[in-house]
Amino acid sequence: MAILLPFITAIAISEGIKFQASISVDQGADIYVTLDNYGSNAPIPLEFVERFRKLEGVIKVVPRVVGRTYFANRLVVITGIIPENIPPNLNIIEGKVFQKKGEVIIGKALSEEFNLGRRMMFALSQNPFITFRVVGIFEPGTTTIWSSDMILMTFKDASDFFLMDGKATDILIYTRPGYASKLAEKIQEDWMVNEKSTDPPLRVQDKGLVKRYFLRGYNYRAGVFTALYMVAFALAIPAILVTSGFGLTERRREIGVLKATGWQTQEVLEMVALENLVISLTGAALAILLSILWLKVFNGFFIAQFFIAELGIFTRFPVPARFLPLPAILCFFFAIILTMVGSLYSTWRTAIIPPAEAMR
Amino acid sequence: MKMVIRTDNLHKYYYIGRPEEVHALNDIDLEICENQSAVIHGPSGCGKTTLLSLISTIDRPTDGRVYLYNQDVSGFSDVELSRIRQKTMGFIFQNFNLLLRLSAWENVAFPLIPIGISEKKRYKRASDLLIRLGLEKRIHHTPEEMSGGEQQRVSIARALINNPDIIIADEPTSNIDTESVQKLLKIFDNLKKEGKTIIVSSHDPIFSDYGNVTFHLVNGHLANVRKKE
Repeated sequence: MAILLPFITAIAISEGIKFQASISVDQGADIYVTLDNYGSNAPIPLEFVERFRKLEGVIKVVPRVVGRTYFANRLVVITGIIPENIPPNLNIIEGKVFQKKGEVIIGKALSEEFNLGRRMMFALSQNPFITFRVVGIFEPGTTTIWSSDMILMTFKDASDFFLMDGKATDILIYTRPGYASKLAEKIQEDWMVNEKSTDPPLRVQDKGLVKRYFLRGYNYRAGVFTALYMVAFALAIPAILVTSGFGLTERRREIGVLKATGWQTQEVLEMVALENLVISLTGAALAILLSILWLKVFNGFFIAQFFIAELGIFTRFPVPARFLPLPAILCFFFAIILTMVGSLYSTWRTAIIPPAEAMR
Repeated sequence: MKMVIRTDNLHKYYYIGRPEEVHALNDIDLEICENQSAVIHGPSGCGKTTLLSLISTIDRPTDGRVYLYNQDVSGFSDVELSRIRQKTMGFIFQNFNLLLRLSAWENVAFPLIPIGISEKKRYKRASDLLIRLGLEKRIHHTPEEMSGGEQQRVSIARALINNPDIIIADEPTSNIDTESVQKLLKIFDNLKKEGKTIIVSSHDPIFSDYGNVTFHLVNGHLANVRKKE
């Protein structure tokens, strides 16, 4: 159970993050355009906004500035966006949406940590000459992980703050159904064939590609965690072998007594297998229950830090977690393998020797 | 009289091939007939327990043969030996060897599990035996909650649960008080009346005149056989 608990918790967090990433991308734009600076995203000039608006199938084009900076010692995400383009799932729990220069809304976690309420003003060390005023506090909707440490402000304010005059970090394009991939191809081709107007080149990513990038990143982290866990798992088998089999004279004596009173080796193995099945199923079920408790009560303490970058010891937002059938089945499977391999071999070793020797 | 157990040139060595090799038993030839009570007598460390282990098939000889009802069981497989122990033998261990996590009735009844007897019937048979042995108040108690004498009677009940023809008891008086010894002798007398063959190993003088046949062991050798007419 102790071995399975962190594993099932980690898988649940990983699945929770992937789920939120998936929602986030689904609710987001259909195409994301930036410049491609040797494989990394680079700011894109705002003149592209008008150009994209004219393309057939485009519903809305939204320039955005997204950057990270420090609020005291906390790394926060600043998003500059036109108020009308604020995601609909963002729940303003206090105040109103920013409208004017200098107005911001902040995530609930940030507000609670720094005791930052409405009408309060603050500056950030990266550009201390600009001051901001809190006009609203929002609660993350379905995507807690990205919005808890977020400060939302006007596009102009964010652009000024990050000294990005005339540029956006990315341009979001919303299209009519069925147009996204064709439009993404067209934007890329137009640039390749006709214009080559920017250097570095355009980087166009449709929704599917963004989703794949996201999931690949988290699958990689989950994969690393699983790989580390497999090593621990492999080490646990011989450990259980020692403690359950060779180390415990009482168990040896019991097997000897069973054999002396007429049990056959196969019957002893069947009994131990049944015992282990019950133990492993109970252990796995308890591990899943405790894992739920760990996530609900302790908010994934310690394990969440592995999956969510720059997370403090105590997470200030609900760590996303999702229990799917497959990890639960895997949990049961691992528990059974662990106990069966650990105990059946040592039981068999004891059962095939004369009972007198086992009881000695 | 029908021969129940016979040994032929029986040897048992421990740590075979090592410099500290122990010759626990050497060249033992003995015969025990049906409905006899046999006592294996001798000082501590003379090989009594080893001899009982070999004739009860819970250990294998280094050399020699063990015959059970004139059948050589020395080369029997593990499965065959388990069947023999299940059907024909009941063993009362010196230190009782009860399973600590089980209650008295469970300790008595677990040899019935492989036979496929239902839990209800197992409980009935075990509790009947425990009541017969005066343990009606200890049916649901674990070994740790019982005295040495009570534990021994649970061990006797376990040995009898399959209604075996041969009862083997290793030093049955070594861990119990005088009152329990008297109860034990009475139980053995009753079993003998039922036609069981009883084989007891002991260094206790109380058994010196008990058996129809007494084997004296000294340093792993059969020094003397005394038969009562």
